[in-house]
Amino acid sequence: MGTQMKDVVIKPDAPNALILDKHADYIAAYGSKRDDYEYTLSEYLRMSGIYWGLTVMDLMSQLPRMNCEEITEFIKSCQHECGGISASIGHDPHLLYTLSAVQILTLYDNVQAVDVDKVVEYIKALQQEDGSFAGDKWGEIDTRFSFCAVATLALLGKLDAIDVNKAIEFVLSCMNFDGGFGCRPGSESHAGQIYCCTGFLSLTGQLHRVNADLLGWWLCERQLPSGGLNGRPEKLPDVCYSWWVLASLKIIGRIHWIDKAKLRAFILACQDEETGGFADRPGDMVDPFHTLFGVAGLSLLGEEQVKPVNPVLCMPEDVLRRIGLEPDLLN
Amino acid sequence: MAEFEKEVAVLVQRVVRDISNAFKKNPNIDEIGIIPCPEPRYNRSPIVLIETKLGLESWCVKFLLPSLHRKLLLYRQRKNYLDREALVDVTVTLLLLNPDFTTAWNIRKELLQCGVLNPEKDLYLGKLALTRFPKSPETWIHRRWVLLQILQQCYAQKGCRKEQGEGYLCHTEATGSSQNLCTHQAKLLHQEMTVCSEAAGRYPSNYNAWSHRIWVLQHIAKDNVEVFLEEFSSMRLWVSMHVSDHSGFHYRQFLLQALLTALCKAPQSTAATTLHQQGITTTSQSDTRAAFGLNESSKEWQPGIVTIPQLFDLEMEFCSELIHSFPGHETLWCHRRQVVFLWYQWRRDHPNVPCNTNEGNVLHLSISKDNGQACSSVEKSINGLPCGGDAMEVDGPPDPRDAKQLKRGLLMSCSMALHAEHSFVSSLLDNCCNLEQRRFALAYKKWLGTINHQ
Repeated sequence: MGTQMKDVVIKPDAPNALILDKHADYIAAYGSKRDDYEYTLSEYLRMSGIYWGLTVMDLMSQLPRMNCEEITEFIKSCQHECGGISASIGHDPHLLYTLSAVQILTLYDNVQAVDVDKVVEYIKALQQEDGSFAGDKWGEIDTRFSFCAVATLALLGKLDAIDVNKAIEFVLSCMNFDGGFGCRPGSESHAGQIYCCTGFLSLTGQLHRVNADLLGWWLCERQLPSGGLNGRPEKLPDVCYSWWVLASLKIIGRIHWIDKAKLRAFILACQDEETGGFADRPGDMVDPFHTLFGVAGLSLLGEEQVKPVNPVLCMPEDVLRRIGLEPDLLN
Repeated sequence: MAEFEKEVAVLVQRVVRDISNAFKKNPNIDEIGIIPCPEPRYNRSPIVLIETKLGLESWCVKFLLPSLHRKLLLYRQRKNYLDREALVDVTVTLLLLNPDFTTAWNIRKELLQCGVLNPEKDLYLGKLALTRFPKSPETWIHRRWVLLQILQQCYAQKGCRKEQGEGYLCHTEATGSSQNLCTHQAKLLHQEMTVCSEAAGRYPSNYNAWSHRIWVLQHIAKDNVEVFLEEFSSMRLWVSMHVSDHSGFHYRQFLLQALLTALCKAPQSTAATTLHQQGITTTSQSDTRAAFGLNESSKEWQPGIVTIPQLFDLEMEFCSELIHSFPGHETLWCHRRQVVFLWYQWRRDHPNVPCNTNEGNVLHLSISKDNGQACSSVEKSINGLPCGGDAMEVDGPPDPRDAKQLKRGLLMSCSMALHAEHSFVSSLLDNCCNLEQRRFALAYKKWLGTINHQ
C-alpha cells in the first residue's frame, strides 16, 4: 500500500538555464498587454504588482526600461488623506500597499514623492494595545501587518515612531512549538508568515529570540524530492514558497541546510522558455509574482547574473546600502 | 463603439437586476458558480437559478466585471453617484465574481454601520462567495469584522437583559471562570463552524478557514471548555478522513492545548468551574467517548471523567492507529510530534503528578437528567476523588513493570515515554517497506533526540 507523494516530477526537457532576457521582456511588456478583464481582476493588488515587476527588473539591472515618472505619479495619487497608500486609484489604503509603494519609491530613491510624515502617522495609528498591527482602519490583525509596519518604517528610517517592544512581544506570542509562526497566536505555522516574522525580528534586532535550529529544521523539511519547497507539510512545491523558506533560512543563518543545487534546478524548471517569466510549478502559467520570487531565489542561491538580493526586504542589496539599511542576519 | 458601450451598459444593468431578483426569489441559495458558455444563447438572461444553485454564464463575466468595477471606483472617487440600493446590488455581484476586492467589502462595512445592511445578510454573502473561492482572504477578513459587530451588539443587549432579570447566566469573566453562551452566540458559533467545515472540505489544508475557526473559538467561545470538548470530539472523525490535512490536525492540536490549559488551571476549590449551558450545543457522553477514542465496552472508561494523562494517552493511541492505517503521511507524524511535545512539556512542569490515569486534574462531563442541561467541570482530584489545595501528594513513580503502564507509554516519566516512542518507531521500521513512511519515521526518530533541548 502506498500513497501518492505530493510533489512534481521535473521532466528531462525542462529549462535548466536562466533566460534573463526573456524575463525582462516579459515584465516590460506585462502592463501593456492585458485586457480589461484581467486588469480589473487584479487591480486590488496593483501596487504590489508594480513592486514585484520593478524589483525583478532592478535585480536584472533593467530598471531603466520601466516608466519611472508615470509610476511615481501613480503612487502619489494613491496616497490618502490619512497618509496610507492604496493598491490603486479609488481603492482604500492598506498597510500592504503602503509598504509596496515605499519599496518602489526606495528603488527610485524618491520617497519624498509622498508625504512621509503622514505615512508614519498612518502606521503609528494602526498599532494596537497588545503591540499588534491592524492592516487598515477596519482592524484585521495579522503578523504580516506587523512586518509591513516595521519594514515600511525601517525603509523610512522611522522605526522609533512605534512601540517596538510591544510589537516584538506580539510577534513572539505567535511562535509555535515547531519553531514557526502563524498569523495570530495559536495559528498554524506557515512559510509566508515565518518569512514575515523572521524578517520582523531581523529589522527589530531580535533574531536571538528565534530557536534557529528548531525553525531551520522545520524549514528544511519543506524541501521535497523534486528540490522545490512547499509552505506547509503535504502541500505542493511552489516557487514563491521556495523564496519565503529560503529567505527565512538565510535570515536565521541556516541556508546551507538545504540542497541548493536541487532547489536551483526546480526554480529553473519553472521558467517558460517561450513567453519568459516563472510559474508556481513547472508547466504552469507564468506571472510577475512568481517571476520576482524565482529570480530572487536564484540570487540567494548565488546566481551571479542577477544582483544580490536582501532576504528581509526582497530588494536589491545595493539599494539598501544606499539608504544605509542593513537588517540583521544570524550566522 | 458608443453603440457597443450602450449595449454593455444595458446588459450589465439587466444582469445585476436578475441576480438581485434571484436572491429575492430564493433566499436559500447555497452555492454559486460560473457555467462554461463562451457565447450567449438566444436572448435570455445569463443567470440560471436551479433550486438553490445560482449560475452565471461565463460569456457575460468579461463585460460585467470591468463595467461594475469601474462604476464602483468612480463612486469611491466621488465622480459618480450611486444610491444605497444600487451600491448593495453592485457590491453583491462584484464580490461574488471577485471576493478579494477589499474596497467593495469596505463599502459594505460602511453600509452596515449606517444600518442599510443587516450583518446576517453579509455573513450569508460571504458564505456564498466562499463556495466559489474557499480561500479568499478578504472574505474571511470581512467575516471577522461583521462577527465583531454582532458580538458587540450581543454584549450590549445582554447587559440590558441581565438588568431586567431575565436570568441570563452569561459573562462571568470578572470571576475568571468560563462564560456561558447565550442562544444567539451559540447559533453564531454553530454557523461559523459549518462555514469553516464547508470551506475546509472544498480546499485541502485551507489556512484561512482553519485560522478563522480558531479565531471564532477565541472570540465567541472564549474559555468555554464545553465547546472545546465538543469540537475536539467532532474533529476526531474529520481528521481521520483527512489524514493529509495539516491545518485540520493543527486545529486539533490547538484544541488539545486549550483543554490542557483548562485542566491545568483547575481551581483550588472543589466547587470548580461549572458551566451551565443553554442553547444548541450539548455534549453527550457517547460523544465524549468517541472524542477520547473509547467505546462503551471499554473497561478503562470511567463515565464522565478524563484526566490529563488519559487525554494524552488516548490521543497517542489515535495517532498510532492512523499512522499504521495510512502510511506515508507527513501530517500524522507532525501531529505525533506536537502531542509528544505537549506531553513532555506538561510532564516536565508537573513532575510529581501521579501517572495513574485516574489521578490528576480531571475533567468531569455529565448530563444532569433533571433539567437536561449539560454540565462540565474541571477539578483537581486524586484517584478520581476531588481534593482541595495546590500541592499534589503522590505515592511515587509508577511501577515500570506494570504491564498496563508499559502499554501506556506516555503515562510514564519523560525518559520512559521517550523510550516508548523510540520503540514505536523501531518496531514500525522493522516491518515497513513504504519509502515515505520510512523517511518520516526516521525524521521523527531524529526529532525525538532533540526534544530535551527545545
